[in-house]
Amino acid sequence: MSEINGKVLKHGEQTRTMHWMHMITFILLALTGIGFYFDIGFIGGIFGGEANASLVHRWAGVVFTVGPALYILLNFERFARFMDTIATFTKDDFGWLKTMGGYIPFLKGDVPPQDKYNAGQKMLGHLIIIGCLLMILTGFPMWLWRGVLPAAFLAFCYNIHFWVAVILILAIAGHFFLAAIHPKSRVEFASMMMDGYIDAEISAHHNEKWFNSLQEVKE
Amino acid sequence: MSIFKEKSVFTRRQFLIGSGMLAATVVITGIFAKLGFDAYAVSDDYIEKRAAGLYNLDEKMAIRKSHENSEILQIYKDFLSPGEVSPVSEKAHHLLHTKYGKEIPAMIEELHAHQHDAA
Repeated sequence: MSEINGKVLKHGEQTRTMHWMHMITFILLALTGIGFYFDIGFIGGIFGGEANASLVHRWAGVVFTVGPALYILLNFERFARFMDTIATFTKDDFGWLKTMGGYIPFLKGDVPPQDKYNAGQKMLGHLIIIGCLLMILTGFPMWLWRGVLPAAFLAFCYNIHFWVAVILILAIAGHFFLAAIHPKSRVEFASMMMDGYIDAEISAHHNEKWFNSLQEVKE
Repeated sequence: MSIFKEKSVFTRRQFLIGSGMLAATVVITGIFAKLGFDAYAVSDDYIEKRAAGLYNLDEKMAIRKSHENSEILQIYKDFLSPGEVSPVSEKAHHLLHTKYGKEIPAMIEELHAHQHDAA
């Protein structure tokens, strides 16, 4: 492996701010949601009672919705590039899925060069976008129109809200494990949660196709 | 040390995918919001009609105020406040005021105690 001395700006300031905000609201929403569903008094107690936990859940939901919407409107180019990246599936991405990026010990083989996001991250991107939209589209009617919507439709919303929450919590747990704990990929954590930069050598190895498209700025 | 950054290139494909995704989100959210607001409007319409129906029924009643109801006045004169119409008489208070929860057993006892008076 050749040595590349330098660092890559992977995530801009607004992206990192949006990620922080979405992470905090997601934790609040998941925690209060688990408290409601399983009727865990302790979780309600953290927020000063069930009524307050309910308020926190609703208003965290508002921030969870408005935050990314503002980000997209203020950073449309960045959002469009992200959507283009995750919507592009080439044979290299299918090659990554065949070997699971080398993360699973018994799946041997060469991992093909990847974009800014590998095939797993692309699939997670789709899951999060679709999951969040479903949570938003079922959550607000449960709050604002519960008195006027047919009971069967509300029950449908509750079921979708619950099962999508289960899938999202499991997916985010996997995302956290790979991005913050797994020794092969935990360098990503500092990039998204701190200054946005990642070591050029690591980037060239994990995101070769994207790295080759970057421009070098001497400092 | 070198710093690497993305080139500021924005392709037509990226624009179309980004705006397509935004448009799809706006349309789906719009349809959901329309369904919700329509349900709200139907509910408001029902409440308005129900209220109008109740007012309509009330307007058609021959006697619309309890203190002008001759049968009620007679009950007061004959039983609740003999010889006069006194809505806050002691008997009226005890018999007509509603009791709740833990007050009910005492009320039943009291009614039993006055059973012979009523007869």
